[in-house]
Amino acid sequence: MISRSEMNAFLMKEPAFEDMSISQQAISKQPSALLAETRRVVALARKFNEEVVRPQALALDMTMQENPDYLAWDFVKKANEWGFFTLWIPKLFGGQGYNLPSISSFMEEIASECLAMANLIGVHYLGFAVAVSSWNARLVNRLCRDVIEGERTGQPCLMSLALTEPGAGTDIEETDLMDKGTMTCHAKKVDGGYLVNGTKVFISNGHLSRWHMLIAFTDLKQPSENTVMLAVETGTQGFSFGRTEKKMGQKACPASELMFDNCFIPEENALYSAEQGKNLKRGLSQTNMQIIDFYFAASRAAVGAFGVGAARGAYREALNYAINAKLNGRPLIDHEWVQCLLAEMYKNMSLARFAYIEANYATGMHGMYKLIQQKQLYYITKFTPRFLIKKVVQPLLDKPWITTVFRKLNFDMQSEREIEITSGLASMAKFAGTDAGIKNCHLAMELMGQSGLRHDMRVEKYMRDAKLLQIYEGTNQLNRLHLFKCLIARNIPQVKMFEHEPAKTT
Amino acid sequence: MIARKDKELTMLEKATNEFSRKILFPNREENDKFPFGPFFDTVLEKAYSVDFFHTLIPESLGGIGQGIPALSVILESVCTEDSSLGGIIFTTAAALNLMITAGRTTEIQTMTDQKTIKDMLIACPVFCNPSDIPELPEAKKSGDGYTLSGALDYLTLGGLAKTALISAKISGSPGFSYFLMDLESSAVIKSKPILSLGLRACPSVDITMKNAPATLLGEEGNGESYFKTMSDRMHVAAAAMSLGIMKGSFREAFEYSKKRMQGGQAIIQWSELKMILSNMAIQVKVADMLVTRACSALDSQETGWTDSARATALHVQSLACDLTTDGVQALGGVGYMKDFGQEKRFRDAKQIQALLGASPVKRLRFIDEMVERI
Repeated sequence: MISRSEMNAFLMKEPAFEDMSISQQAISKQPSALLAETRRVVALARKFNEEVVRPQALALDMTMQENPDYLAWDFVKKANEWGFFTLWIPKLFGGQGYNLPSISSFMEEIASECLAMANLIGVHYLGFAVAVSSWNARLVNRLCRDVIEGERTGQPCLMSLALTEPGAGTDIEETDLMDKGTMTCHAKKVDGGYLVNGTKVFISNGHLSRWHMLIAFTDLKQPSENTVMLAVETGTQGFSFGRTEKKMGQKACPASELMFDNCFIPEENALYSAEQGKNLKRGLSQTNMQIIDFYFAASRAAVGAFGVGAARGAYREALNYAINAKLNGRPLIDHEWVQCLLAEMYKNMSLARFAYIEANYATGMHGMYKLIQQKQLYYITKFTPRFLIKKVVQPLLDKPWITTVFRKLNFDMQSEREIEITSGLASMAKFAGTDAGIKNCHLAMELMGQSGLRHDMRVEKYMRDAKLLQIYEGTNQLNRLHLFKCLIARNIPQVKMFEHEPAKTT
Repeated sequence: MIARKDKELTMLEKATNEFSRKILFPNREENDKFPFGPFFDTVLEKAYSVDFFHTLIPESLGGIGQGIPALSVILESVCTEDSSLGGIIFTTAAALNLMITAGRTTEIQTMTDQKTIKDMLIACPVFCNPSDIPELPEAKKSGDGYTLSGALDYLTLGGLAKTALISAKISGSPGFSYFLMDLESSAVIKSKPILSLGLRACPSVDITMKNAPATLLGEEGNGESYFKTMSDRMHVAAAAMSLGIMKGSFREAFEYSKKRMQGGQAIIQWSELKMILSNMAIQVKVADMLVTRACSALDSQETGWTDSARATALHVQSLACDLTTDGVQALGGVGYMKDFGQEKRFRDAKQIQALLGASPVKRLRFIDEMVERI
């Protein structure tokens, strides 16, 4: 009927079967205990929602509207008490070691009640993901130790990502655009470290974080090949906070301005630099993009989950309204058009969920989670007593050769196709989830009429909060382009991207 | 958007645009802080002094009698910068329209004789169709008048106006009726201003009444008919508000796109953003044509003008929600911040979509009425 070579040839045709069946492949390859862990995480999130998030979300949003400079320390401390800032830090680094894809499921849960609170927790893991993407075992271990100590002492230690600049948002997320853009955050190489000057803006959790993963450039003329990733601690001389932005929504999660004025960062705080990357298989610009792909593949799937959470929150409130409200003397929910509208909202939410789950499966098989979800390593770390990890494994993390091995395994052994599928699907999950979030908010508000306009009915808050999702972690336009680059353009060698087009359509 | 060739309308448009630019634009962010910041009394007084509240009132009653075309010109222009003022003008105009429909000229004359805007304002629940509210307040005959009891949600301008025009059911009578009620009566309890998605300086309150004295507007049980007459006309005005928001949003996105650089060129040069802007421009153009045409049809009482008015409002309000979503997107991160006008327009567009009732129910009613006629 069909020969093996024929079959392979057919399955390689686009869309390649390998890309269409990520979850089916992953289920047999990944540890089965992941599901049980995710179940526990979801249940925990639901408990937290019931006890903390839902009772406090509206009041906190109201407080922020009244006093935009308020910082939600109470919530951060509560999340710290619940162990949420170490829950997904691998046991290798002293954390609780829950599987990283379960962050997305957790985020969907929290976001379904409050996107700002979800982001307050989620952004910490963006900072963590950026740190991990350097595969600098010594420094990641050190940062994680501070987070764990912060949990123990009740003084939360959060991480953030300092990426966006006043003149560079999209440009800083694609190396093809970097050199054409206007980066200004300069890290001058000096004796023993870097002297940083510049400003970062819209940094989520900036004012609340202790460690900031700063993306800066040693040469502003060619930033794509001269990127340096620095771990900067709050309180470092020459580093200060500027304003917090006055946002439409997600108010509890501050968007901060970070200012660097001759700020000296020692070499030991360099997560990654061109100097460190020169022995890797790829060129510096490619490695830089690979790092960006590592962390965005993880974080964009989670932002997709935020979007699903928003879609779900809007759906839930619309459903409750439809059950309780009446039109023409009948319960609203008995009207056929309402049933179809709710079904549409359910579909939007569910399809977007499938997208982030699939993206996380890809990252588990081919991206950042691959190593830690490798069955043997997973079970060894899961069942090895903490004191053994602390005594035997952790001292090894300080050894430079461990970082070299990590980098070989993760940078050099990751194929182009693996980068493309993980990063491309994450972009898809991001814009699918966040578009679904906004869509459901619109539908819920329309269904609820004047009731939906009120703050105390929650949907208007989802609407304000959800709009930001289409903007951060790369605008949805950039994410569409990124999907094109990763999953479509790879088969069209002649295609040109990020190049200037004629000014006028002739 | 000018519905008829009329020198006065052209001059009105010019004057309103200047008002919006000079009075509304500079303090837009500050004025939007209500209820957490002060209310923009000065702006309201200025709008009153230039007769923004008098367009619907017939000349014989002390108004300027230019009808919906003039009201739409004002609302469109005002809403390019700050729809909250538009919401206040709309609410007052809706109440006036109901009073005109019910033939209450004495009260209208009294309104125009007021010296301050706050005395002229009338609270009215403009974000619903009373027919869709399952439990309206109850009205009971009491001497020459009535008393009202029960709760009414989301009474727009209820915290600012001295008088409210509200719907209630008269015990034992079918349908609902409209009543004028003194909001300063001790029989009326008002909530704090409700924090809403948009139009924050056009606030609403919930009220509860216990035997609050009220005056019947028009005839008993005629509320539905009055609402229909009023809303047919006011749909065009609501569409003009959405159009104003759309124009403001497009203008800000367009101007920003010419200045903001990305990848070594102005973002307007990137074809994906160009496509977004083009879609916005087309939506603005289409909405402008629709509102102009619907307004003109209303003005000349063309056959089928009510369908035109309703269809225009539903379509333009929906377009405004889509367009303002893109309007924020075009500015990226700063579009989400209060320093620019886009986030407010995004919120206001959604709020305005709910004027005169929930959007899907308005759609159903559109076809129901068509079925009834045929």
